[in-house]
This record gives sequence, structure tokens and C-alpha cells, in this order.
Amino acid sequence: MRTILLREIKLNFKSFLIWSLSVGLMGLACILLYQSMEGDMKDMADMFSNMGAFSDAFGMSTLSIATLKGYFATEVGTVHGLGGAMFAAILAIDILSKEEDKHTGEFLFSLPVSRSKVVAAKGICVAVLLVLFTIICALFYVAGFVYLKEELPLKEFTSFMLRQLLMNIEIAALCFGISAVSGKSKMGMGLGIALVFYVYDLIGRVVPDLKDYLFIGPYAYANASEIFSGVETDAMAFVTAVMVILCATIFAFIFYDKRDLAS
Amino acid sequence: MKNVVEIQNLTKSYGKNRGVIDVSLTIEEGDIFGFIGPNGAGKSTTIRSMLGFLKINSGSIKILEMDSVKDHEKILENVGYMPSESWFYTSMKVKDVIKYAADVRKMDCSAEAEKLCERLKVDVNKRIKELSYGNRKKVSIVCAMQHRPRLFIFDEPTGGLDPLMQRTFFNLIDEYVNEGATCLLSTHVLSEVNKYCRHGAIMREGRLSMLDSVLIDEDEFIRFYEE
Repeated sequence: MRTILLREIKLNFKSFLIWSLSVGLMGLACILLYQSMEGDMKDMADMFSNMGAFSDAFGMSTLSIATLKGYFATEVGTVHGLGGAMFAAILAIDILSKEEDKHTGEFLFSLPVSRSKVVAAKGICVAVLLVLFTIICALFYVAGFVYLKEELPLKEFTSFMLRQLLMNIEIAALCFGISAVSGKSKMGMGLGIALVFYVYDLIGRVVPDLKDYLFIGPYAYANASEIFSGVETDAMAFVTAVMVILCATIFAFIFYDKRDLAS
Repeated sequence: MKNVVEIQNLTKSYGKNRGVIDVSLTIEEGDIFGFIGPNGAGKSTTIRSMLGFLKINSGSIKILEMDSVKDHEKILENVGYMPSESWFYTSMKVKDVIKYAADVRKMDCSAEAEKLCERLKVDVNKRIKELSYGNRKKVSIVCAMQHRPRLFIFDEPTGGLDPLMQRTFFNLIDEYVNEGATCLLSTHVLSEVNKYCRHGAIMREGRLSMLDSVLIDEDEFIRFYEE
């Protein structure tokens, strides 16, 4: 299992590096831009906080983008939230199905290793790369704060990064389950899932009737503006996340073990 | 002689589509067993069921006196399989693929792999994506043989190999079989059955019949495909 895990990490390392550096550097660039925009921000902040549904959707009604904390939550929060979710989806959606899609399954599964061990190795690979992705991005963001000599709101920042990690794991688990069923690449579907969750959360914060059902989507507990403004998160959102992760992962193990593998 | 393969009343279907029906087959230790039949007759389904790629509907498969479902991993430790299409991870180098297969088996097969690569003229420093079909087949042979398994399963192994490599391949099989291994060879090539196999069976429309003799002439061989 260790050999398969290490090979999977190696095979996915390039994609991991591209996504971590891209999202991390974009976040860092956003933070560094704050300094040059700081003067204008004060005027913009009032305008952005009074734009009704738009301000609610992007959290600008609760946080001022004139402060680095508010700016980070609204701008970098969006970049990291979307980038991380897309990376998690892309990574997990093909990790099992690619063996059949690229016809390498006959080689891998003729080796003395059970399907469960293969699923476990690939699942651990996804989790490890998502943790590393979060750490690398966090280092970029911290570097931005240090460079601007601004105080990092450590508690909120740590909470944001951990919840984003949980969100990425939830999206990855869903995609992992789909990958166990499919023998073909579903990259488009993976990206679609990440974007649908994002849009669902955006709409849910604007449409009053949907607010009670926000907990279904993973962005409910990982919303940067809520975390940085100290809004309490619905516990059901976390319960749903844990349930989704467990069910999707167990489903992947059971289904992959029972089905025929295509040549 | 011990039975290395014992299949009893194997039935496998793909939904409403036929796979194999009530197949029973026994292969003794030290045999080179020819497995012939038209495309879609069920040869690959039988082989893929033996290796656990497919979940069988009914019947039982025993390999090396072990149950193919319960002892799946243990069986694969002693089996060398070469699929008809030899696909590997394209970005990997040949030497890494060969070592990867050995590492998953938790074995040091470097000496045997080196010998095989030398005899089959495998360039281990090339990447898989740079290899022709025939050269990918040779990598597949090395991966199937380097751990010196007790049972070889080859699914149309010589497609893409030049005549010299075909001869080297069969020489290798002979050597391993003389040392106690057993070989199941699925093929469409009559000369391979005549020359190398000791027993054989034909599959037609999902059903298996044993051949009385592997010494069959071309007309009879073609009839297997026509009927």
C-alpha cells in the first residue's frame, strides 16, 4: 500500500504544485495589492457595504474591505475558496477511474494488492495533498501579512484555513465516491460540483428562503467573511460535512470492491 | 500431478449480455495450456474472472489450491499476468515500472529483471510513452516474469513482437515451465498452439470444450472460428 501511495503522490505532484503555487501566489498578490489600494479602499468600503444583496453575498455588509482583515476575508477568501475546491475536485474525481480510463488497471490489479488497499492508498494521497495544499497557501498568506507588517488575526485565520481544508476534503470525498463508480474521466463533473456549491452558497446568502438550507453546502461553514466577523456557524453544517465525508468514502470502498473492472 | 487451475461451472454475464456459461477447466502443474477461440468467445472473461477483475455470477475458481475470491492477494503473489494490451503509466520510465511492480510484490527482483531485460532487449531508461506497442509488450513480459511466478497467464502475448522476440519469449516460458511453473496461453496463432502447448481448449459463444489434441491442422483450426 505504501508503494502505491508514494507513486500516487508522485504522479499527482506536478498538478499539486501548479495549483498550490497558483492559488497561493494569487492570494499573496491580492494581499500585496491592499497596500496600493488602501487609500481608495476607504471610499469604496462604504459603497460596497451598502449594495444590498451583493454586499450580503460577498460578506461586505459585515466586514469592511478598508481593513486588511476584511479585505482578506472578501478577496482572498473567495480566491482560496474557489481555487481549493476546484483542486480538490480535480484531484479526487479521476484518482480511481483513471486506472480504467487509461487502461492501467490490468497492470495494477494483477499485482498482489487488494482493491481496498488501492482505494485506501489513493484516498490517503488525496488527503495528504489537500493538507499540503492548505499549508502552502497559508504560508503565502502569512508572508503577505508579514510583508505588509500587519497583525495577522491568528484565531480567525487558523479557523478559516482549517474549515477550508474540511470543505476541500468534503468536496474531494464526494468526487472520490463518483470516481469509484465511473470508469471514465469525469473532470468536467468535478469542476461543476465545486462551482455549483459555490454558487449555491452565494445564492443562499441572497435569497431569504434558502438561508435555512445553506448548511447543505460546504461553503456554509467555510465562508471567510462569516469566520472573520465572528458569526457563529450552524452546527448542522459541520455534521453534514462529516456525514458526507464518511458516507462517500465508505461508498467508494464498498462499491469499488464489488464491481467489475473494465479492461 | 497437482491441479494449478480448477474452474468449476463458472458463469459470468454482463447484465443481459453473455460472458461465459458453465465453464469447467483443469490445468495441471507443468502444463502449457493453449486457450483458443474467436474474438468475444469468452477467453478474456475467463482469464479476468480468474484474476479477480470480474465478479463471477456462479461457480468456483481455485488457483494453486486457493480460492480466487478469499485468497485473491495470495494467488496474485504467485501469478504472472500479461494482458493483451500492455498499458502502463505513460510518464514513468521503464525501469521505474519494473521496480514498481516488484516493490508492490515486496520482492527484490532486480537480478531476474536485469536478465529478462537483457534477453528481451528492453531499454529500461526510456519512458513508457516513447515505446512502441511491441516494446510495451516486452515490458509487460518482464513484469509478468521477474518474480518467477508459479502460474503464468498470457492473453495474446505475441502480438507486436518480432519473430526473434517471439522465439525468446517462448524459450523463456519453456525454461520457467521446466523449473516447475505452469502456463495458460490465450492465443489466435495456430503455430503457437501446435508447437508449444501440451493441452488446449476452445471457447465458442461462452462455452468451453477441451481439445483432444493440440496438434491440429489449419483447416480444423479455421473451422473453430467459423462454426
